Amino acid sequence: MTAAQTVAVLLDEELLTLTRIAGMLRRRNLPISSFAVGPTGTPGCSRLIIMLQTDADAADRVARQLRNVIGVREAAAFAARDGVARELVLVKVRASQDHYGDLLDVALLYKAAIIDETADATILEVSGSEAFVLSFLRALDRFEVLDIARSGVVALGRSALGAAAVSLSPETVP
Amino acid sequence: MPDTLTGAQIICRVMQEQGVDVLFGYPGGAIMPFYHALPEHPRLRHILVRHEQAAAHAADGYARATGRPGVCVATSGPGATNLVTGLATAYMDNSPVVAITGQVSRPMIGRDAFQETDVIGVTQPITKHNVLVRDVEELADTLRDAFAIAASGRPGPVLVDVPKDVQNQRAEYRADGHMAGSSDGRPGTWGHPSIRPSDHQRRIHQAARLIAEAQRPLIMAGHGVLLAHATDELRCFAERTGIPVITTLLGISGFSEQHALHLGMPGMHGEVHVNRAIQHADLIIGVGLRFDDRVTGNTAQFAPRAKIIHLELDPAEIGKNVPTELGLAGDARDLLRQLLGVVRPRDCYAWRAEITGFMRTREEQYRGDLSPQSILTALHRATGGHCTIVSDVGQHQMWVAKLYPYRRVNTHITSGGLGAMGFAVPAAMGVHFARPDEPVWAISGDGGFQMNMQEMATMVQEKIPVKMAIFNNGYLGMVRQWQQFFHGRRYSATPIWSPDYVKLAAAYGIQGWRVEDASDTDAVLEAALGTDGPTLVEFMIEQEANVFPMIPPGASLSEPIEGEPAPVGV
Repeated sequence: MTAAQTVAVLLDEELLTLTRIAGMLRRRNLPISSFAVGPTGTPGCSRLIIMLQTDADAADRVARQLRNVIGVREAAAFAARDGVARELVLVKVRASQDHYGDLLDVALLYKAAIIDETADATILEVSGSEAFVLSFLRALDRFEVLDIARSGVVALGRSALGAAAVSLSPETVP
Repeated sequence: MPDTLTGAQIICRVMQEQGVDVLFGYPGGAIMPFYHALPEHPRLRHILVRHEQAAAHAADGYARATGRPGVCVATSGPGATNLVTGLATAYMDNSPVVAITGQVSRPMIGRDAFQETDVIGVTQPITKHNVLVRDVEELADTLRDAFAIAASGRPGPVLVDVPKDVQNQRAEYRADGHMAGSSDGRPGTWGHPSIRPSDHQRRIHQAARLIAEAQRPLIMAGHGVLLAHATDELRCFAERTGIPVITTLLGISGFSEQHALHLGMPGMHGEVHVNRAIQHADLIIGVGLRFDDRVTGNTAQFAPRAKIIHLELDPAEIGKNVPTELGLAGDARDLLRQLLGVVRPRDCYAWRAEITGFMRTREEQYRGDLSPQSILTALHRATGGHCTIVSDVGQHQMWVAKLYPYRRVNTHITSGGLGAMGFAVPAAMGVHFARPDEPVWAISGDGGFQMNMQEMATMVQEKIPVKMAIFNNGYLGMVRQWQQFFHGRRYSATPIWSPDYVKLAAAYGIQGWRVEDASDTDAVLEAALGTDGPTLVEFMIEQEANVFPMIPPGASLSEPIEGEPAPVGV
């Protein structure tokens, strides 16, 4: 069944490793909706979270293929229910004097922080699930949105097993 | 201060450490420091090729014949880009090759300097790993890792790009440098984890149960059997269970063709009874193969009645191309040994009789008596099977795969996955260094031969006694065959002119023969084998001979064609 699948990867903090991963994904023409990389608690080790719209088997195969990339320490796929996922978004909005109150209402409703104000623009910050972020962006449609920056989804598997996620790939061989 | 060496000297030292005895290369500006150091290391025999592609193919041939990494060396820019086809060949066929390329000096990198190419970017999708050495201090360990990565797990090519100034930098060389993969106390971030699924034993028993229950089981053996040195285990397993064995193009010579259980090659040009056996099988035990599309035909209709057990080193291959009932990830030899411990002896007699019933003699549709069959039969007669055959790509490749009886392990070498024309001649040079005491035959078509025939000069200069055979039909035969069958006989760009190969060979100082009549074949092959050094034999075969049977592209294994199909509009 096609659904949002998460593939979590622990990798050496090397641009070359990241390039190899991106190249592998590109060659297989996978339906990727989000690609977010950042540091982990371990020096020299990054975490990459890839979101893709596919079925669980295909996501698991991606994880197994990623384990073959030199510099990848661990890779695993998990379904949305087996992990938690969050995305951060910054939105720059121009609201006229008349609509500023409405903007504050939206911010309040979504627990958005106003993190910057200039004479002609306001920057709001929200984090939450992908669906929550998309809902927030829709709520801002009636304002003049100048710019949007999204972090991409970061996620952690719920289980304490495995640094990357739920299971190690040999377990998931058919 | 301890003695220091230059980066170039360190490269040579690490090669010696790793047991390298021969390397194939071509000098140029950015690799000159290495070539300056090379003569100080007489144990490293350097073969000067005539094109870097040949260096990569030769290293690949050496690697396939020995199982140890083959080494090729090139300069930056055009030297490195010329390696690409050879590296892609090695990548597709899992051959351990280490390529060392010069790079422009570090201060010039990224400035579009003379002969600068981002070879790391270029070769990223066709290498198992590649790395730019940023400082001489990391050079030795990077090279050691390169050899380890190339040969470990599922083998493949590794490229190490060394800037010219790093080759000139000095550093202390320690022969007891870190052991590959253990530098930071954790297992290497390459190869395959030795973790077994917790239910591995259950899976082995499940496999035994599936094998016991099957009425029509088949073994399909691929390159992984040869890579894992599992040929004895495969034979024992087949004999214990009585299951017939199919060998894929790269699995050929992993199971003796003399053996009663040997069936032949499957797929696009597989014999009809082999493909029919697949379509009738109720269990397929795939060992060390990836169920390539040339093997399966249309995957939706591949082996429709069969459950598939897939024994494969790389877990990522399991379930990739065909749905799998049971995957066993691991080394083919280990897995076959474990299966041997649990399978019950049986003979599959009824099933084998059924397959025999599928066999029928096919009228070979050759005109004239100098047929591929007659040539390859004569070659086997002349060599007594005591030779390694390296084929190129195209029609002759299929004939060589099917018509020569391989009885010795790993005596058939060809470019399978990439299908790189021009492979045979340079790869055969590499095979010679692995097997100096036996004849190595490079068999090419007239198209593929012309792609790398410049290497005759290398053979003469370096005294490499490769025996070359050319199947000359005046066409790019396999493409012409497709044009005949599927493109309304429009022979677009497939007629190909050849020089007089015998005279050409003579120009290189190589003795050559042209065979136009089958009655001359035996005498010429004897003479070619009996003459020291490289020799060349050109066979003038029927111009429009075809490879039969053939599964049309996209069709299922149940739909072979055994003669020219009715014309279709294109």
